[in-house]
Amino acid sequence: MKKIGLILLLGASFSCKKLTEKPQGNLTPDNFYQTQSDAVAAVTAVYSTLTTDINNDFPIYGRNLNLIVDNPSDNQVYSPSNTNPDVRALGTATYVSTNDRVHKIYAQLYWGINRANIAIDKIPTIPAAQFVDPSHSADNLVREARFIRALLYFDLVRLFGPVPLVVHDQATVAAAGELVSRAPKDSVYAQIITDLDSATLLPASYTGANIGRVTSGAAHALLAKVHVTRHDWGNAVTELRKVITAGTAGLIDATTGSYGYDLFTKFSDAFQAATKNGKEHIFSAQFNGTTGGFTSTNTLSSFTWSNSAYTADIPADSSVVHLFDIADQRRDATFYDSLFNQTTGKWVKWPFFNFLKFVDQSTGFVTALQGNQGANSKVNFPVIRYAEILLLYAEALNELNGSPTADAYTAINIVRARAYKSYTSGGSYTDHTYDLSPGLSISDFRDAVFTERRKEFIQESQRWFDLVRRTDLGPGQYYLQSVLAMPGNPKAAATLKDTLFPIPQTEIDLYGGRNPNFQQNPGWN
Amino acid sequence: MDLFKRYIKYASGGVLSIFILLSSALGQTNTNNVSLWGRVIDEKTKEPLAGATVHIKGTTHEVSTDNNGEFKFITGQHVPLVYTISYVGYQGREITVTSYGHLDIELKGGSAALTEAVVVGYGTQRRSDVTGSVATVPKDVLTRPTSSFDNLLQGAVAGVVVNQSSGQPGATATIRIRGGNSLSFGNDPLFVIDGFIYYNDNSLTNLAPNSGTVPSVTGVSSNGLSTINPSDIESIDVLKDASATAIYGSRGANGVVIITTKRGTKNSNNISYSGSYGAQRAGKTLPVLNGSQWAKLFDDLYAATPTIQSGLAANKKLIDSLGAAGVNGDWVDAALRTGATQNHQLTIYGGDEKSRYSLSGNYFNQRGIILNTDFTRYSGRFNYEKNYSKQFKLASSIFGSNSIENKLTGTAYNSIGFGNSFSSLYLANPLQPVKNADDTYNTTPQPAINPTLNTISGQQFSDNAIQDIASTINQTKLTHVLGNVSGEYRLTSELVVKSTFGIDLLNTRLNYYAPSYTNLGNNGGTITGSGSVGTIGYTSWLNENTVAYNHAFGNKHFLDALVGYTTQYQKSENTFLAGQSFSSDATTYNNLYNASVNKVTGSGEALQTRNSWLGRLSYSFQHRYNLTLTGRADGASPAGANKKWGFFPSVGFSWNVSDESFFQKLSGTINSLKLRLTAGSVGNANFPAYSSLSTLTSYGYYLGSPLTATNGLAPSQLSNPDLTWETTTQYNAGVDVSLLSRRINLTADVYYKKTTNLFITGAGLVPLSSGYASASENIGSLENKGVEFTLNTENIRARDFTWRSSLIYAANANKVLSLGPSQSFFPIAPTGQVSPVIVKVGLPVGTFWGYSTAGLLTTADVYGSKTSPKLTGVSQVTGDRKYVDITGDGQVTTADKHNLGNAQPKFTASFSNTFTYKNLDLSVFFQGSFGNKIFNLLQQQLEKTTTTQNVSTTLLDRWDSLANPHGRTPKVVNAPVVQVADVYIEDGTYIRLKNITLGYNFSRDVAAKILAKQIRVYVSAQNLLTITHYKGLDPEVNFYDQNNLQPGIDYGVYPNTRSYTVGVNVTF
Repeated sequence: MKKIGLILLLGASFSCKKLTEKPQGNLTPDNFYQTQSDAVAAVTAVYSTLTTDINNDFPIYGRNLNLIVDNPSDNQVYSPSNTNPDVRALGTATYVSTNDRVHKIYAQLYWGINRANIAIDKIPTIPAAQFVDPSHSADNLVREARFIRALLYFDLVRLFGPVPLVVHDQATVAAAGELVSRAPKDSVYAQIITDLDSATLLPASYTGANIGRVTSGAAHALLAKVHVTRHDWGNAVTELRKVITAGTAGLIDATTGSYGYDLFTKFSDAFQAATKNGKEHIFSAQFNGTTGGFTSTNTLSSFTWSNSAYTADIPADSSVVHLFDIADQRRDATFYDSLFNQTTGKWVKWPFFNFLKFVDQSTGFVTALQGNQGANSKVNFPVIRYAEILLLYAEALNELNGSPTADAYTAINIVRARAYKSYTSGGSYTDHTYDLSPGLSISDFRDAVFTERRKEFIQESQRWFDLVRRTDLGPGQYYLQSVLAMPGNPKAAATLKDTLFPIPQTEIDLYGGRNPNFQQNPGWN
Repeated sequence: MDLFKRYIKYASGGVLSIFILLSSALGQTNTNNVSLWGRVIDEKTKEPLAGATVHIKGTTHEVSTDNNGEFKFITGQHVPLVYTISYVGYQGREITVTSYGHLDIELKGGSAALTEAVVVGYGTQRRSDVTGSVATVPKDVLTRPTSSFDNLLQGAVAGVVVNQSSGQPGATATIRIRGGNSLSFGNDPLFVIDGFIYYNDNSLTNLAPNSGTVPSVTGVSSNGLSTINPSDIESIDVLKDASATAIYGSRGANGVVIITTKRGTKNSNNISYSGSYGAQRAGKTLPVLNGSQWAKLFDDLYAATPTIQSGLAANKKLIDSLGAAGVNGDWVDAALRTGATQNHQLTIYGGDEKSRYSLSGNYFNQRGIILNTDFTRYSGRFNYEKNYSKQFKLASSIFGSNSIENKLTGTAYNSIGFGNSFSSLYLANPLQPVKNADDTYNTTPQPAINPTLNTISGQQFSDNAIQDIASTINQTKLTHVLGNVSGEYRLTSELVVKSTFGIDLLNTRLNYYAPSYTNLGNNGGTITGSGSVGTIGYTSWLNENTVAYNHAFGNKHFLDALVGYTTQYQKSENTFLAGQSFSSDATTYNNLYNASVNKVTGSGEALQTRNSWLGRLSYSFQHRYNLTLTGRADGASPAGANKKWGFFPSVGFSWNVSDESFFQKLSGTINSLKLRLTAGSVGNANFPAYSSLSTLTSYGYYLGSPLTATNGLAPSQLSNPDLTWETTTQYNAGVDVSLLSRRINLTADVYYKKTTNLFITGAGLVPLSSGYASASENIGSLENKGVEFTLNTENIRARDFTWRSSLIYAANANKVLSLGPSQSFFPIAPTGQVSPVIVKVGLPVGTFWGYSTAGLLTTADVYGSKTSPKLTGVSQVTGDRKYVDITGDGQVTTADKHNLGNAQPKFTASFSNTFTYKNLDLSVFFQGSFGNKIFNLLQQQLEKTTTTQNVSTTLLDRWDSLANPHGRTPKVVNAPVVQVADVYIEDGTYIRLKNITLGYNFSRDVAAKILAKQIRVYVSAQNLLTITHYKGLDPEVNFYDQNNLQPGIDYGVYPNTRSYTVGVNVTF
């Protein structure tokens, strides 16, 4: 019987293990968000959503937004490398609500918004005493997160119209399962503006390790763009004057910007690894060409160099290239049709033009095309750059005053002067050959601005937004007429419904009949 | 005649020994010990019965018969005494012995089927009393040569479907008992090895660190079950229904496989050796274009694609000249070789009055049929039992094994990578010879295949896939130690207390190195060498304490009860190190410190604990009406905080109809008839630790000037405190019947299983606007229903010749019943691909979803007055694939995709026959799968015309307006968009001659000449013949391994082999 006792004792001593889980190798919300470095990491995760996808797919600013905003525009259709039928459908206006790219961008934007919500909710719960390093105050970290949240909501509301306005993390499956209704566009914009207003209290600039973070200039700039999108011209001009560098030559109305923004003389410097975060860059998604997957690799233009027959993306047709004068430096910075082969010592001419803007030439042009480097572009994606501020200023002044003002001309002409290689700095240039002819009507000037925007921002995720936000011909008409005018009529299927993307079908299915307020966009059922 | 002579000889020997014994008994009265000996034989065939138990009634003396049916006691017991003889499959017998000397004891076959003990969870049960669906793997199946015993289950038991993921030695297999219950994970059965609970989790043998910057991962799991030496296995029993598996509670839903290893026998000492040698060849290869054919295809591509004309003008010239010169590289052939297996096993077993032991050592080696692939296992086992007293018994068993698997890389899960995988060889450039004239690898840059360069050099570095395979190290080493000690104390004759303590250690080491001159070790000239090592240490201990009680009330009521408490602790810890660019390849993975770039380190842990209460109550009335109640309460740590505990009950009833008096007049024809009916609910808790918690994941960003990687952290998943196991409710009805003097035995079962609370991790469960792309929830349900039968017959039973057959049939129908808020979802497809399978309410898991096609577009389809609908988003011209507009809306969109068939078989069957003629025996085993579809993804890839890969010979029949207007494959287009279409969904039905074995048992006389008791030699062939319409490599294919949602996808895995084996078994 003693033996029995021993055995049972042995058994009992090992039994009754606790069932509560306390992971030793994982951080959980319970053991995180306690120090300043935790707060910084929470905000870094917010930035990360700009350049990372959870499934190693194309990140928002790595290529996905480009597929959504440029392929449906009159600049692109699809490229031979677009083997995904859903990508091709975007280019031919035949996409449907189950389109995987539409689903992806919707998911990615909310993914980033949620990261921001977490940071905004959690950072204020960290004791103030933890914030010992003054370069990252709790307030500023929250403001950075609010800027990103605003940026992503701005993309969302422009792509999808009214969207669920989620401003807190839901944390549990049960809470996340609640079906938030679509908020009116005005409510979404109100949130965007509140967030951006808060971000205008951020530092004007950073040094060293913090370069690339959100600045107050970025907040004002994005705010201006939001106002322009909403046709709130007065507020737009107010914000733009805070961004435009005071003392810019030729500008009459007082501008107050002390950020020192200016245009690069060389247009292509806006898209080079060596000149990243330069004077023209107001806010950029930071890429460093990391190998492996798409994480932090800008895959625009440069995705499949090494072993496929085609480069990533090409313009819709040569008419897009021929928009540009030969003298326009943007032409050669945006497209190429021939390559120099180091091995053979010969130039190779391609049968069509390819996009060049985001090709990483930092390792040497030829090397970039011959190794695998093409997949590892370090080129930042300029979310908003100074040239756009000038063009928004020109546009807003024209609309606000009913005709182009002198400052409107000056602003657009600076951009044109740079394009035609005569620009030096501070708004100064001597060769006025390419200035717009004076005395344009409001609509002619508007056309001029939109054409300039098109040429300036090819592949910068702008064109479709521009096409649908312009309403002077009637809602959606500018979009419709532009895409239907493309040679070969590749977007013959386009209709007015295409001025908003469909809410992803999975979202509609999930809501089912349970939330009658949650309806698909018009024309997409 | 032989047999008769032997009989006479024994009889005379018997007479002689009686005299000797009598005289010794009379002459030496002070010596108590005497010898009692005899032989147990079959009543009809007079064949010796090996392994029968002979017990001297009223004593603890018990021996087993040897391979010749012989037994011997050296004992103090004297005649007269009574032997109790029992043997599986025979009627037990008591016989009174009145004299010393050799005695032949005849046993009657058959009806013992009802009194023998059947293995059930935590004990055994009399077969007549069993209520659940329990099947035993036939003994002869266990002797087939194999590297891993799970392969043996294929076709051996009705309702068990085994699918090997590849032919790679040591590869994993998926095992499904009565269909898959879960969409997410853990559909494999629970293994119980000598009482120790072991779940074969593939993640324990593979590390896939979740980091975009990891230079390399091995990507393919090894089979943990391959660490177990199949020759050590005494028996495998499969518990299928809820009545049988409910004792395993939350882990019983997928069935339970109980493995018992070989034990010693009392009062004997045996040494046995068995060895075998085998040779293997690839079953089949696929035809691809040779050099000149490919050159012609290139010309067509060139002509059809203006965009590559300027880019590839120089290439064209060279390609044409190489094609004309007949240059040809046969890459697949260069990779294949004749494989070889050898297996050596030495077992020493025996015992004395009080103890039994078995000691074995094994060496197994398989040289793969592809270069640089092999599998080696060293293993040892020691089983020991001792009766310390009449009450107390101690038993222990320990085994250890070390296996080394060298495998290909590149078939990484969820990505279709080409590097070093077998399928990549089909795509390799046929215009590059594999080797130079001096037998070195040809690494000269060859014409290809990259128009961006307009050069005959496609690559800046050497590129030879065969060299890559031959020189890349991708090695998995598994060290597995499983030890178990149990003490059993018999408090009274009816009450037994048992306590078991066991520990299981599985250590995995992954070594990887791609030298600087290989594709993966060069990465386009950016690195020089790439290496990694990973380790996973898994520790599991289990403590089980049970109390068993049995009582008979008179001769009518029989009661068996069992209660127990168990605790299991499972922890795995892993580390991962990687680096790239080494100054020398010499140190391979052994000196990662010297890596100059991309150094990666990682580590992790997972801990699970389980506490359980279990109980079983069996009641039998006259062994005629039997009732079993089983229940287990499980507390499991990975379940959500609100749902840690669950209870899993079952009830089973069986009725031996043939024992009823009204049945007696039929008993001449129907020897026995039993009906079984069971119901119960069991769980599937095989989800990973921490599933219910919100955990933070690293999300990096670059900031600063210069840009510096900054680590961000954010929750990657929602927490779910309500997360719990999947519950499978199962109903089973079965019948066991024996006919015609038990020469026909039929077991048939019909079952229905409904799994609710499906654990789904996926999109569409929470709104995307929550910011979480997916969530884990218990949502949705699915069902499996099916019938299965096993028919064992003894067709001929003559003196010299016997013929036995076994026919096994199982049909399972699976259907998704609900998926919560969504109606369907697509499993994540590899990047750049569209998922070919859908999970959809109303359809089975593994349903292929794509377009129907109707040949090729004709001129009339494109230009006629009544044109055909075309695929949107693509410009389709004459000669392109014609997709069918199912919805009839005039265009072909994703809405026209529909159900193209299912990867799950309608039924599986096997048919085995065993013939014996005198000392010869022959067994022939056919096995097949019927009505399943396979997505031939490799063929799809091989029909994709680009300038960068070789293609299938089916493209010789490509459409061409002039040369081949009736061609069957589409017009040549450079890099066409590939759609999931019916042309690549093929019928996967097959019938396979899985095994044929011819054996010869030498007679005792011959054996005795080398002092052996028994000698057997055999020749065997595996996969000798396959009848199938499937055009791919092998219809037994499962690229996605244990993934439940993507079965039946063929991406050209390591081919299955045809193998021939010779072997010998000797017992001394």
